[in-house]
Amino acid sequence: MAQTTTTVSQEARARDTVGIFAEMPDAATREVVSGDAAAAALAFLTEMSPDLRGAAILTAEGEVLAASGDQPERWAEDAAALLAIADRAGDEPVEQVHVATEQGEVFALRNAGLAAVAVTNRYALASLLFFDLRATLLDLARGGPEAV
Amino acid sequence: MAPKPHRVLLDRVSGYADEAAAYMRRRRAARRPFARLYYAGGRSHDHAEDGAAGAELFAAAGGLIEVAGKGRS
Repeated sequence: MAQTTTTVSQEARARDTVGIFAEMPDAATREVVSGDAAAAALAFLTEMSPDLRGAAILTAEGEVLAASGDQPERWAEDAAALLAIADRAGDEPVEQVHVATEQGEVFALRNAGLAAVAVTNRYALASLLFFDLRATLLDLARGGPEAV
Repeated sequence: MAPKPHRVLLDRVSGYADEAAAYMRRRRAARRPFARLYYAGGRSHDHAEDGAAGAELFAAAGGLIEVAGKGRS
């Protein structure tokens, strides 16, 4: 079976990395994801996760596709800041961020060329939330909320 | 006399539920704020709240928590 070498895929990935959100470890999405599809996916995620206070789904360029509440620009700014700080903290782009504070917990995930940020109540189960976020982004990248 | 089979099953299930509840209570009591970053391949790294990167991560997370508000009631 023919296989693509890792070096080739890494080079292709490096050529495409522009900006904070483009540094996706699994940057597979090149199709346009509509805001409606993202909103539907976010609604489903909110329904599925009782601990969720709010969340946002963003493109690789950091544009908000869907966000809870009425401040999408704040979600974009704060998500970009969190991911930028997280990237600076290590020697490679982060895939997931989990910050647990006394006031709540913040999760950020890059997957399939998209990014998601979620805020939950304290003691939310991280593995479940990351699983849900990853599944949401993957299904969005594959073509829409009907697959979520 | 041996207990009825359904009684054994019920006892076992309630035992598991008790274990899970106890685990959650211990987790709540022992857990402190943390910032954890995960990288490709499953590697992760914790940053202390009083470290340079940790303080920035907590500040950025605080901004997001503020945007999200109290969430659903």
